[in-house]
Amino acid sequence: MYAGMADFLGGTVPFVRGGLEAGEPVLVVESAAKIALLRAELGPDADGVLFADMAGVGANPARIIPAWRDFVVQQGGAGRRLRGIGEPIWKGRSSDELIECQRHESLLNTAFATGDPWWLLCPYDTAALDPEVIEEARRSHPYVTDGATFQRSNTYRGLDASGAPFDAPLPEPSSSTQAVEFRAGNLVEVRGLVALNAASAGLSSSRVRDFVLAVNEIATNSVVHGGGKGSLRIWSDLAAVVCEIRDSGRFDRPLVDRERPAPEAPGPRGLWLANQLCDLVQIRNFPGGTAVRLHMWLKAPAGRGHQHDARTIDSITFG
Amino acid sequence: MESAYNPRQFWAGKSTGAEAPREIYADKQLIVLRTSIPPGIRFAGEIDASNSHSVGTSIAAGTGPERDVHVDVSSLLFCDISGIRELVTAAERLVAGRRLLLHGMPSQLETVIRVVGWNELPTLVVCECGTD
Repeated sequence: MYAGMADFLGGTVPFVRGGLEAGEPVLVVESAAKIALLRAELGPDADGVLFADMAGVGANPARIIPAWRDFVVQQGGAGRRLRGIGEPIWKGRSSDELIECQRHESLLNTAFATGDPWWLLCPYDTAALDPEVIEEARRSHPYVTDGATFQRSNTYRGLDASGAPFDAPLPEPSSSTQAVEFRAGNLVEVRGLVALNAASAGLSSSRVRDFVLAVNEIATNSVVHGGGKGSLRIWSDLAAVVCEIRDSGRFDRPLVDRERPAPEAPGPRGLWLANQLCDLVQIRNFPGGTAVRLHMWLKAPAGRGHQHDARTIDSITFG
Repeated sequence: MESAYNPRQFWAGKSTGAEAPREIYADKQLIVLRTSIPPGIRFAGEIDASNSHSVGTSIAAGTGPERDVHVDVSSLLFCDISGIRELVTAAERLVAGRRLLLHGMPSQLETVIRVVGWNELPTLVVCECGTD
């Protein structure tokens, strides 16, 4: 927890330096502005630190755990300790993004519950973020520090609850919807409806193509794994075009949408693909079945570059 | 709502009329033809969960055992993961030393192959040599 930039540096710089002194690989995933600040403060020591722009890596928060996984696999091993700093929540995230970022923060506990000796610091700006966001941060993190003290969070929800089926309510569509019931035989109709709506909403042709691909795979999951059929709604507003797919299935693995599939592995890849191609993916287990919402932004959200901006980092490689 | 796209018309528009291509498979959104130069098969239309089973059987029916398998995908308007998985499986079934060559890869297929991590498979080759 920090308030303002001086406080941010006061908490993060000693953490980074401590890692460097201990010979631990350190990865910082922050905004470009905070990376610049940290580099200036660290001086020559910054050369020993890996940096990645959260605007690229974490534009869709479901891509962050795979990035940390890559870091741990490529830099760790044989009991080697690692350190990371990751700040996916900033003022200006939409309410849909915020809830998925909070889910991500909880799932980090599940993703790295065993085995990997690494320490992740998640800065929260108490001066900029709402008190409810800070309260949720205390529920999703086992330990909390304000720079001066380091203590166990007494409201941490625990490991089991962190990975529990996610059933947070989804807001009603922001505008009128078009809908279609589908099964294997009319996926072509689903693709036509999605392409038409996405193009009319103003999405570029390559992003229409990506969106159609992602929606088709999620609908295919319903056909193959979710009871053989499903229902789809699509709508758009000034900010995004959104498609929701519901079926009678159930997601039983908490990290189902953020485990990178091995090339030779069998099994579905639709949720992985959707997270790589869409700006936000919301998956829910409700009593009657599942819902998946796929969002494509119509313009770059406030506070960051567009995800396809060449200046942002879409994937991280660690040499 | 019925798709405006008709693979038969699509094919008819592309045919040179020089020789009648032989049909291996057809449904309302996909047609598969045998090609002679190079010897192989051509997919035209859309592949999804309703018809991806036809990919492997078409490749088996349309190609001989003794050489590389040439697959013209330039007329594929859509191919989902299951369709590409069928291509990958067909490539892996080839005997050692033979390859499955994809000609005229649309960018949509490239996206799927890259995102699901199948671009590293040695038996599946994306040919830059055009579609003929």
